[in-house]
Amino acid sequence: MLSEFVDGKRLAGRLLPSSFFMLSCMILSFIFIDAKPAYTLPLSHPGSVRAIPAFARKYGLPCSACHTAWPELNWFGQAFRDNGYQLMNDRDSPIWQNPSYFPITFRITPNWHRENTNHQAVDSIPGGGAGSVLVDGTVRQHGFDLSGFDLWTAGTLFKNISFSLLPSADSTGAFHFENAFVRFDNLFNSRWVNLRFGKFELDNLISEKRFLFLSANGGLYQLYHFVPVGDSNTFGLGDNQLGIELAGHSINSYTRYSVSLLSSNDGQVGLPANRGYDTYLTFSQAFQLGSLGLQRFGAYAYIGERPTFSQTTSGAPIAGTGIGNKSFYRVGFSGDFFFGKFEFLPLYMHGHDNVFLGTATPSNQPLLPGARAPSWNGGFVETHYYYSPQLVLTQRVELIRMAQQAFPSTPAAAGAPSIPDNQGNINAYSVGFRWYPIMFSRAGLAWHSEFSIVKSIGTLPLSGNGNGLPPLSPTAGVWSNSVFTGLDFDF
Amino acid sequence: MKRKPIFVALFAASLILLFATRPTQCFAQIDIHIHTATNAMESHIHGLTGEAFGDGQGRPDVGAQLYRRYCIGCHGPNGDGNGENAMWFDPTMGFAKPRDFTLGVFKCRSTPTGMLPTEDDLFDSITRGFVNTNMPSWRPLTEQERANLIAMVKAFSPRWQAEKPGAPITIPPETAPTVESILHGRELFDKIQCWKCHGPEGRGDGPSALTLTDTKGNPIRPYDFTTGERFKCGASNQDLYRIFMTGLDGTPMPSFSDNIKPEEAWDLVHFLRTLQVTLKTRELATFQTWLKGHPNTLKPIGQEAP
Amino acid sequence: MQARYVLLPVLFALTVTVASVGPAPAGTIEGKVTYTGTPPKMKPIDMSKEPTCAKEHNPPLLSENVVTGPGNALQYVVVYISAGEQSAQPPSEPVRYDQKGCMYVPHILAMHTNQPLQIYTDDPFTHNIHPMPKRNPEWNKSQPPGAAPIDTKWANPEFIEVKCNIHPWMHGYFAVLNTSHYAVTDNEGNYSLKGLPPGKYTVTAWQEQYSTQSQEVTVGPTGAASVNFVFKVTPYLY
Repeated sequence: MLSEFVDGKRLAGRLLPSSFFMLSCMILSFIFIDAKPAYTLPLSHPGSVRAIPAFARKYGLPCSACHTAWPELNWFGQAFRDNGYQLMNDRDSPIWQNPSYFPITFRITPNWHRENTNHQAVDSIPGGGAGSVLVDGTVRQHGFDLSGFDLWTAGTLFKNISFSLLPSADSTGAFHFENAFVRFDNLFNSRWVNLRFGKFELDNLISEKRFLFLSANGGLYQLYHFVPVGDSNTFGLGDNQLGIELAGHSINSYTRYSVSLLSSNDGQVGLPANRGYDTYLTFSQAFQLGSLGLQRFGAYAYIGERPTFSQTTSGAPIAGTGIGNKSFYRVGFSGDFFFGKFEFLPLYMHGHDNVFLGTATPSNQPLLPGARAPSWNGGFVETHYYYSPQLVLTQRVELIRMAQQAFPSTPAAAGAPSIPDNQGNINAYSVGFRWYPIMFSRAGLAWHSEFSIVKSIGTLPLSGNGNGLPPLSPTAGVWSNSVFTGLDFDF
Repeated sequence: MKRKPIFVALFAASLILLFATRPTQCFAQIDIHIHTATNAMESHIHGLTGEAFGDGQGRPDVGAQLYRRYCIGCHGPNGDGNGENAMWFDPTMGFAKPRDFTLGVFKCRSTPTGMLPTEDDLFDSITRGFVNTNMPSWRPLTEQERANLIAMVKAFSPRWQAEKPGAPITIPPETAPTVESILHGRELFDKIQCWKCHGPEGRGDGPSALTLTDTKGNPIRPYDFTTGERFKCGASNQDLYRIFMTGLDGTPMPSFSDNIKPEEAWDLVHFLRTLQVTLKTRELATFQTWLKGHPNTLKPIGQEAP
Repeated sequence: MQARYVLLPVLFALTVTVASVGPAPAGTIEGKVTYTGTPPKMKPIDMSKEPTCAKEHNPPLLSENVVTGPGNALQYVVVYISAGEQSAQPPSEPVRYDQKGCMYVPHILAMHTNQPLQIYTDDPFTHNIHPMPKRNPEWNKSQPPGAAPIDTKWANPEFIEVKCNIHPWMHGYFAVLNTSHYAVTDNEGNYSLKGLPPGKYTVTAWQEQYSTQSQEVTVGPTGAASVNFVFKVTPYLY
C-alpha cells in the first residue's frame, strides 16, 4: 500500500514544497509558542458551524468545556447536546437570561487555498484551435478565497423542547437550509426518549459536520460520500437528511442509540425525486479506561432505497414521482479513543448498492450483460493530538477499495461494458493543525492550516477541483492535492 | 518553482502573526497561578488517586490541565472565583458568584461548620452540579478526571495542608414521617425562628430575607421551599438533614447542630418537605390529609412573643 | 555587737534571694487615643425587624463604627504590644461575648490566640453568630433563645468581623492577638498596658475604620512609658 503513495519522484515533487510549508509552520509554532504546560499561546468546503459561542456566553463556560477543539465536541458537550442544549440545572430557560444573550452564531473562514489535479483532459493548444488534441494535463488553481458561511441558531424553545435552524450559504451567498428541526427532549421524563423532526445531521459517532478539516480535498470523508463509477445513487452518509429520529442516551451519555426514518432524497427539499424511505440505526457505548480517558465504540447501519426511473408525461419525467425503488446499504462500526493527548477515530464501512442502482438501469428494463451489484469496503483512521486546549494537530488516512464492480473487468459479452477492478479506489491523506489564539467565552477564532492529497483510480477525486471531465485513462491514478490556510472564526 | 514566492510570503506572514500576538494579554489570560508551596496535592476518592499536577509531564488528564479546559472561565486562573465570566454573574438576579477556592470554605459538606469538607463531599458537589447556578453537573467526565479536579481544587488553598477535613457528622436512621413528627418539626421551625429568613411558609420572604449577604458581601436569597426545586446540596432527606446540621459555610445559613437533637432533626426534615407544596412527597400527602381533618387548629408560624 | 554580725549576713542573704527572684514586672505603657478632623456622624440603628429590641432601645442606639468621647477621644481602639515581647502561654480564663438587646457586648472583644472564648445569648429570639475571618476557619452557628453558650477559640491572630445574618445591623469584632498585653480604649480614649518587663516595644493601635498605627517605646525597670495615638478621621465611612 505504501508504494501507492510513494509514486516515484512525482510524489516527492508534489508533496515536498507543500509539506515543507506545513511542517515549518508547525515547527515554528512550537518554537515561538511558550511551551509551559499550563500556558500556551499559542473550503472552500462550506464551513459547517457547529460551535455556538452563544452557549458559552449563556452559561459562562469557556469553549474548551464543551469542545475538544471547536467544532469537535467532547463528551461533556455531547451530553449537553443530547439533553437538547440543556445543562439540566434549572437554569436553561432563556426567558430571564441577560438580554445580551441571543442564540445566534455565524461562522466563515477567509482563506488562501491551492488545488492541483493531474490526469485531466486538457487541450494541447488552449482554445482548441486547429491541430489541438486532448492531452493528459495538470490543472492548478490558487488564491485568496472565502469559505461558505453558516448562520446558526439553536437552543431551547421551552423546557425540554429544543430547536436548530441553520441557513447556510456557499461562498457566493447562495443559501440553503443545512438543518432545521424541533426536538422533543426527555419525553415521558426519560432521557431515553427524544424525538426529532425536520432536517438534521445523522447521528454519526464521527461527525463530518463537527470535524477539523476544511480544505477541498480534506474537508470531507471520502467514505461518507462515495458512490462507484456509473452508480445513480445520490446518497451520502455525511449529508443532512430529512425525517424523524428517535434517540436516547444514558445519564452521562455513555450509552447512546438512535433510530431514524428518512426520506430517500438525501436531504433535498421540494420532494425532487421519489417517494421512498430510508432508515438509519446507530448505537454506541463508552467506558472509562483509567487515566487514559473515555473510550467509545459504536456501530451503524443505513438501509435505504432510491428510485431508478419515474413516471412521465409525454416522455418528460414528473418531479417527485420516482419509482422502481431499489435498495442499498451502508454498514460498519467506528470508535473514538483517547490515549493521553491523542484521540483516535477509526471507522470501517461496507457499502452495497443494488445492481440497478449500480448500473444506472431503470428497473423496468433489462440489465446489460455482466451487470452486478457494486460493493466496497473502506475505512479511515483519524488522529488528533491536543497539545493544549488551544492547539490541535490532525491527520487522517483513508482508503476505499471496490470489492465488486458493477461490471467485470473483461466484458461478459461482445459490446458489454467493463470496468477495471480497481476503478474508483481512493487513497486519501490529510494533515493539518488548528491554533486557537483566544479561548474566550464570547467568540471563537482559529488559524487553520491543512494539506490534503487524494488519489482516485480512473475518476476525479471527490471535491478535487479539476475541470470535471473524466481522466483520459480509466486506470490512471488521478492525484488531487489541496493546501489550505485560513482564519476560521465564529461569533 | 513559481510556487516559492507564495510559500515564502505565507511563511513570513505566519511568523509575523506569531510574533505580533505573542506578548498580548490573550496568552496571559489562561495562565494558572498556584498559591500553595507544594505541587503534590492529591485526592483519594472511590479507590482512585487524583493528582493536581502529576509528574510535571503535562499529562492532559491531570487536575491542572482539566481545570484549564473546564473550570477556568468562571473560577479563574487563581482559583479565586474571578474568572473572565464571573463579573457577569449577577447575584441580585440570583446568579451566585463562582466559589473562591483559596479560602477553603465550602457550602456542601458532611462535616461540621468551620471545617474542611471531605474529598467525597467535593466529588459529589462537582458530579451533581449546583441547581439554579452556572455550575453544571460534570458527570460526563470520568471518575478519574473528577478526582484529578478535586486535587486541583485543594491545591488552591493552603488550608488543606494545615488542616485535615473534619469527621463527617453521624446521621441516625430516619424516623417515620408521621403527623406527630411533622407537627413537632413545625414547632421547631417556629421556635428556632427559621422563618426569620425563610418566611412562615418557606417562601424565602422572611423579615430578614432581603438584607442577607454572603461572606463576600454579595446579596443572597434564602431557599424558597415552595418552588420544590432541588437543594443546592442534593435532593434527598439525608441531604436536607445535612444542610441544617452542618450549615452552608460562606452563606448566612448557620449550623443548628448545637440546638437540635438528631432525632428532632428528622422531624424538622419531615416538616420542611411539607413546605415544598409543588413536590409530591409522602410527607406532604400525610400532612394535607391531617389538615383536612383538623381545619384551623394550628397556630400560625412567626408570632413572636411581645 | 554579735547580733549585728548575725543580722547583716541574714539581711544580705535575704536581699540576694529577693534580688535573684526579681521584682514582678512593673513597667506600664499608658496613653490616650484621640482624633483630628471631623468624625462621621453615627446613624441611629433601625431595629424594626426585631420589635422587642426596637422597643427596648427607644430612642435608638447609634451604630458603633466610630465612637468618640469627650476631648476628641476615640473609643474601641485596640492597643497592644506587637513586637519586643516574649511569647507567653495563652491565659486559660475564658473571655465572654454577649448578644444582648440585638447588640454585641462588648463591641470589640480582645483576646489572646487560643484563649477560650464563650459566646452567650441573652435575647428571647434566635441569633446566628457568624464570624468572618480570613486567616482562621469561618463558621456560622445558630443560637436560639435559651441555647447553651458556644465554646470556641481562635488559633491565628486576626481582627475578625462578627455579624448576625438575621439582624443585619449587629456588628462587632474579635481582636485575636499574639500577646496578653492589650487594652481597648474607654470612652475617654484611655488605655493602660501593665506588667511589662523592661525593654523596647512596638505598640500598635487598631481602629476598625482607620486601620493601624504603630510606635516604638522603651520601658525602664520600674518605669512608666506614655504613648499617645492620634487618628486622622474623615467625615464619611466609605
